[in-house]
Amino acid sequence: MAAATTEPDLTPSRPRYDGRLSELYVIYMRHLVLMLLTLGWSRFWGRTRIRRYLWSHFAILGDRFEYRGRGIELMVGFVLALLMLAGWGGLMYLVWIYVFHERPFASFGLFDIFSLSVALIGFPLAFVGHYAGLRYRLSRTRWRGIRCGLAGSAWRYGASATFLTFANAICFQLLTPVVSVNLARPRIANTRFGSLPFVFGGSAGDIYGRYVGYYFLNVIAWLVAAGIFFAAIGGAVGGLGISFTEEELGELFTRPSLRTILVVAAIAIGVYIVFSLLILSLRCWWQAYLFRYLVSHSRAGNVLFATAISTRQMWGFLVLNYLIIMLTLGLGWPWVMHRTLRLIAAELWLYGAPDGASIRQPTDLGPRYGEGLLDMFDVSGV
Amino acid sequence: MARFYDGETALVHEVSVRTTTNELVIFRLADAGILARWPIGELAVLGDVQHEVTPPIVRKGSEARLVVDDPELSRQLASLVPQLAPLAGTRPAPAARIAAFGATFAALVGLFWLAVEYGTEYVAPLLPYSLQARLGESVFDELTADKDECHGKAGVRALNDLANRLAKAADYPHEIVVHVMEGGPVNAFTLPGGILVFYSDLIEQATDSSQVAGVMAHEIGHVVHYHPVKGLVRQYGIELLVKLASGGYSDMLNTLASGGNVLLALRNGRGFERDADATGIALLEKLEIRADGVASFFEQMLAKEPKDAAAVAGIWSSHPPTAERIAATRRPSSGKPAFTDAEWRAVRNVCK
Repeated sequence: MAAATTEPDLTPSRPRYDGRLSELYVIYMRHLVLMLLTLGWSRFWGRTRIRRYLWSHFAILGDRFEYRGRGIELMVGFVLALLMLAGWGGLMYLVWIYVFHERPFASFGLFDIFSLSVALIGFPLAFVGHYAGLRYRLSRTRWRGIRCGLAGSAWRYGASATFLTFANAICFQLLTPVVSVNLARPRIANTRFGSLPFVFGGSAGDIYGRYVGYYFLNVIAWLVAAGIFFAAIGGAVGGLGISFTEEELGELFTRPSLRTILVVAAIAIGVYIVFSLLILSLRCWWQAYLFRYLVSHSRAGNVLFATAISTRQMWGFLVLNYLIIMLTLGLGWPWVMHRTLRLIAAELWLYGAPDGASIRQPTDLGPRYGEGLLDMFDVSGV
Repeated sequence: MARFYDGETALVHEVSVRTTTNELVIFRLADAGILARWPIGELAVLGDVQHEVTPPIVRKGSEARLVVDDPELSRQLASLVPQLAPLAGTRPAPAARIAAFGATFAALVGLFWLAVEYGTEYVAPLLPYSLQARLGESVFDELTADKDECHGKAGVRALNDLANRLAKAADYPHEIVVHVMEGGPVNAFTLPGGILVFYSDLIEQATDSSQVAGVMAHEIGHVVHYHPVKGLVRQYGIELLVKLASGGYSDMLNTLASGGNVLLALRNGRGFERDADATGIALLEKLEIRADGVASFFEQMLAKEPKDAAAVAGIWSSHPPTAERIAATRRPSSGKPAFTDAEWRAVRNVCK
């Protein structure tokens, strides 16, 4: 059989990010000022401005991305989710009045039943919100003038994510590769650039061996960390001859002096170092591997992806970013976003270029409003 | 010079442009083939140079985009076509703007804090009373859902009478409602909307009526200072501040901040208790009622539990150390009794 055997174009390239941290901070500080002045209602517009900046400073093959979402769309989405929650509250009120109110077996009140039910629906709804939020962001993202998109049902994703997460918890996290691959698949394979669908060719079986290794190393690491921790405490108390009566100990914490606070902080940092060296680096090792696997098994038409992100880089992404946010009390957000985009630009490789002529503008405009559920039930960055 | 995306496919065209009196003509660099002619009146720029590196030029109603990379060409177009003026904008130096926004931000955080800390003093009484009462009632339902309320008529009436006399002495304009719940702990508390809750164990353990009157006066102190509402407003205010100041993104930070918030609430709590003690005593003295009950009740509690939990807990306590409160509230045993003998008997039997 004579197939067309023209050599595919596999020229490598990397995205380029040329944003400047100082400029990002101008936008962010302005956002914070407006947040305080409007009691938070400006956040939809602030978030939109930050995205516009980041998207526009990120380019693939020399063409910059465009973010064309609008603040009002995010606000309407938020208000709709709020109304939905209010509707749920009304429903729970009726249930309480007609089923539980003034019944002897009901030793709980309306608030209990409402918060319990919100916690129950909130878990699956966070997944639904994740997917719907991704759909919104992609539909407002353009490259070369062409809109991106996300097909598939957010509710179906929410249901399967909820089921998989519970199943994994019951099986002591041994299903993690199955969960990771099956949650990545709909998000990757349903992504569209114009009329071009992405393809995901991974399967959980490929990564199980590494995961099982990680799983048992992790158990050992916890044991070692606990051992080091107790040995250190025991050594410090015994070796330095420190001993406290109960009252002295009480006094120390109920009226903390600067010295106590510093000592507690030093201990916390010590515990954190042991913890981060052993357990978090192991986790980053696994996450980096998983990420490399997911990226290299995705493609868009004839464009292939790959990354060589290392454990150390994953540590910088997961652990350091977290620390930056915590230690700067949130003021480090722009820095974290900047670092993340720089990491992507440095570590994501594309092979080949899309066939521009065959990719058409989608007819679908995407959702009209955005991210309501995500705002309500989830913690999300930009 | 510039890139043209046709809006229908993902093709990229390297182009240049020419303006005529009423058109923007976009033509290929390679062969000068004309790709589009856009009427000047229909041109627009998406976004601005503060956020976008190269804000795209579009023809209204079309998905096609013209992206001008060349700054010189951008400037020319901006000067020739009024609608394209945004292309000529520049980004001001960031340092000065960060400093200005940063200073404004810090000042706003400070103002917000002051507003929450001191503003509640003035705002809490202004909150519609019906709202306070409804809030108080729903919390009351929640807290007492699994408890039995005592309904001894004469006893409840005597307690309500005293409560309202004390509140009136403080010029509190609303009615107070006292509930007695059966059992323990040995405690009483106040809810928004002038709702007082006494546990019957407290009444049982009181050695005389002045102790119940003392506790009642203390609770009325909370009521007339609107402490329950102030506490709520402050807690909510600080939570909001943290959320806003962290950009509204982070729940991790809220977790961290809620720890600080608990400490703040407890500090508020200690301040509130001191105010309520002082006001309670003042009200009793104003009505010429025996005012030694507060101190004697505390002494009795301290004798029973010599290791004072409030003193031990320090910054983690919601109440000031008991010894300090005794010293601050000690009064002579002169004055009228708070209840008549018949009333006191009814109060003692309120749950029977």
